[in-house]
Amino acid sequence: MKKILIIEDEKMLGEMYQDKFIQAGFDAVLAETAEEGITAVRQEKPDLILLDILLPRTNGIGFMEWLKKEKEFSSIPVIAFSNYDDPKTKKEAAELGIKDYLIKTNYTPQEIVDKVKSYLKN
Amino acid sequence: MELDFIFLILILTLHFCVGLIVYFNNRKSKSNVLFAVMIFWLIVWTAVSFIGEEPINRGAVSVLVKMDFASAILLTYFFFLFCRDFLVRNLFTRINDLWFFLPAGLFSLFSFTNLVIHDIEFYPEWRYFVPGPLYPMYVLFVFAYIITGVTNLLTKYRQFRGIKKIQTQYVLIGLALTAFVVLITNIIIPNILKIPSPPLVSRIGIYSTLLFIVFTSYAIIKHHLFNIKVIATELFTAVVALILFIQMMVAGPVWLKILNGSVFILFCLFGYFLVKSVIREIELRQEVEKLSSAKSEFISIASHQLRTPLTTIKGYISMMLEKSYGQPPDKMEKPLENIYASNERLIKLVNDLLNLSRLEAGKIEFNPELTSLEELVSGIIKDLRINIEKKGLDIKIIKPSEPLPKIMLDQDKIRQVILNIVDNAVKYTREGGITIKLEKLNLEEQIKVSDTGEGMDEKEIQSLFRVFSRATAGIQLHTEGAGIGLYIARQFVEMHGGKIWAESPGKRKGSTFIVQLPVHLSPKLLKSETITVINK
Repeated sequence: MKKILIIEDEKMLGEMYQDKFIQAGFDAVLAETAEEGITAVRQEKPDLILLDILLPRTNGIGFMEWLKKEKEFSSIPVIAFSNYDDPKTKKEAAELGIKDYLIKTNYTPQEIVDKVKSYLKN
Repeated sequence: MELDFIFLILILTLHFCVGLIVYFNNRKSKSNVLFAVMIFWLIVWTAVSFIGEEPINRGAVSVLVKMDFASAILLTYFFFLFCRDFLVRNLFTRINDLWFFLPAGLFSLFSFTNLVIHDIEFYPEWRYFVPGPLYPMYVLFVFAYIITGVTNLLTKYRQFRGIKKIQTQYVLIGLALTAFVVLITNIIIPNILKIPSPPLVSRIGIYSTLLFIVFTSYAIIKHHLFNIKVIATELFTAVVALILFIQMMVAGPVWLKILNGSVFILFCLFGYFLVKSVIREIELRQEVEKLSSAKSEFISIASHQLRTPLTTIKGYISMMLEKSYGQPPDKMEKPLENIYASNERLIKLVNDLLNLSRLEAGKIEFNPELTSLEELVSGIIKDLRINIEKKGLDIKIIKPSEPLPKIMLDQDKIRQVILNIVDNAVKYTREGGITIKLEKLNLEEQIKVSDTGEGMDEKEIQSLFRVFSRATAGIQLHTEGAGIGLYIARQFVEMHGGKIWAESPGKRKGSTFIVQLPVHLSPKLLKSETITVINK
C-alpha cells in the first residue's frame, strides 16, 4: 500500500483529502504544519508528499528547502497543492523540484487522486 | 580680469554655495556641520595658495605661505573627522576629539613660526621652501589624517548595506576623481612628463576638489541617489549652466555680457523645470509600481482566502456525487448537482477576477511550451463531455487528416480560452450540438467552435470582446460572466500573437468562435517571461 503524506493546515480540507485517499486505497498521513510534516517524513517515509504552500510559520517553500537538503528523503516526489496562485511562488516551487503545482479549487479530490496515481506510476 | 582669477572666484563661489546648502539641509547633523566646516577651510586654503603664488611683495608671500600650511593641516583634520563620523553615531567624547585635534592645532600654530617652514628663497621663476625641524612631522600628520579618513570610508563601504552603502560610494567616487585629476595635473604632467604648463593647469588639481565636494554633498543630502536618470539630467543642466556662466563672465562688451547673462538665467529657469518634471515623472512611476505590486499581492491573498471554502464545498459535493459516502437519496442528487454547478461558477468568477486584476496591473506570466493543440482540446472535451451529454447536446470534433504539429503555447492560458468558449456554447445552446473543428492554415493553427444556440446580432458581436473598463465592469459582471471571460480570452490569445473573433448569422441562428494561433511564436515573445499587456 502506497503511503501519502498530506501537509495541509486547513483541518477541514486535510481531513477531506485524507478520507479520499484512504477510500482510494492509500495509506494517508496528515500533518498540519511544515514542522509536523518534517517529523512525519522522518517517521513514515512516505512515497509521495502533497504539500500546501501557505502554512503557518515555515511555509511550503521552506519545507521543500529542508527536504532537498536531506539526502535520504530528497528523492520523494512532491506535488504542491495550494490556492495561492502566485507566479513567483510557482517558479520557486518548480526550481525546488516540485513535480506539479495544482490550484486546489480547480480539482476535485478524485482528480487529485488520479494525478497522484499517475506520478506514482512514473 | 584674468581668466585664472575668474575661475578661482567661480570655484570658490560654488564651494561656498554647496557648503551652505549642505549646512542648511540639516544643521543638527554632525556630518553636515563637519562637511561645511571642511569646505570653509578648503576655501581658505585654496584662496591663500592662489594669492601666495601671485607676484606680490616678499613679506606678504611669507605670511600667505605660512597661512597656507596652517590651513592645509586644519583642512586634513576636518576631512578626517568628516570621514570618521560620516553616517555613524559619534562614539568619541570631546576629550577624544581634543586628542585628535591636538596635532592639527599645534602644527597649525607652528606653521606661523620657523619650525615647519624655516625660510622662503625667491628665484626668478619659482620659490623654494626651506623646511624647518618639524616639517617631516607636519607632513606625517597631514598624511595620517588623510589615510585614516580614507581607510575609515573604505571600511564603512564594506560594512554598510542599502542607501548608506550608496552614499559612501558617492563620497569615494568623488574622492577618487579628485585624486585622479590631482595625480595627472600636479604630479604626472609637471614631474614625470616634465611638460611646462600654465598656472591654470597646475591649479586644476586644487579646483578638482569641487568634484569631491559635489559628490559628497549629493550623498549627504541623499538627493535621488538611486535614480540615474535624474542624476544625468541634473548633471547635464549643471554643466550647460556652468558653460553659460563662464561665457557670460569672459564676454567682452557689456551688451554681450547682458545677452549671455539673460541666456544663463533663462536656461537656469528652464533647467530647474526640466529637472523637476523628470523627478515628478519618476516619482509617479514608482508610486504606480508600488500600488500595482501591492494590489497584485492583495488579490493573490484574497483569492486564496476565497478559494479555500470553495475547495471544501467542491470536494465534499463531488465526493457525495461520486457516492463516496454511500448512495444519496434520488431526490437529493439534483440539488447536489446544482450546488456543485453554482460552486463551479463561483470558482470561475474568482479565477477570472484574479486574471483580470493581473491583466489590469499590466503584468502576467507567460510560459510557452511545445504543445499539441489536438491533445489539449481532446482533454478539455473529455472533462466537459458528461455535462454536455447531460444537457442532451451532441459534441463533435473534426480533426485534420494529418495530426497538427506541436506549437509553442502557454497551456494554462489556451486551456482557459477554449474552456471559456466551449462552456459558453454549452450554456447558450438548448438543442442541437457543438462542433469543434481543428485546422492547419498557412501560418496558424485554427480552432473553430460552432453551436446551434441563441446566436447574436451584429451589435452584440461588436461588444463581445470590448475592452473592459471599470465603468462597465459592474454591468458586465451580471451578464453571466461573458464580459470578463471573453475579454481575458482575447488578452491570452493576443499574448501568443494570435486572433480571436466571433461570427453569427443572427439571433437564434447559432454562433461560431474562431481562435487562430501562430505556428511560430515570435522570438520576442519566446524570450519574455513576463508580458506587459497594454490596455488599448
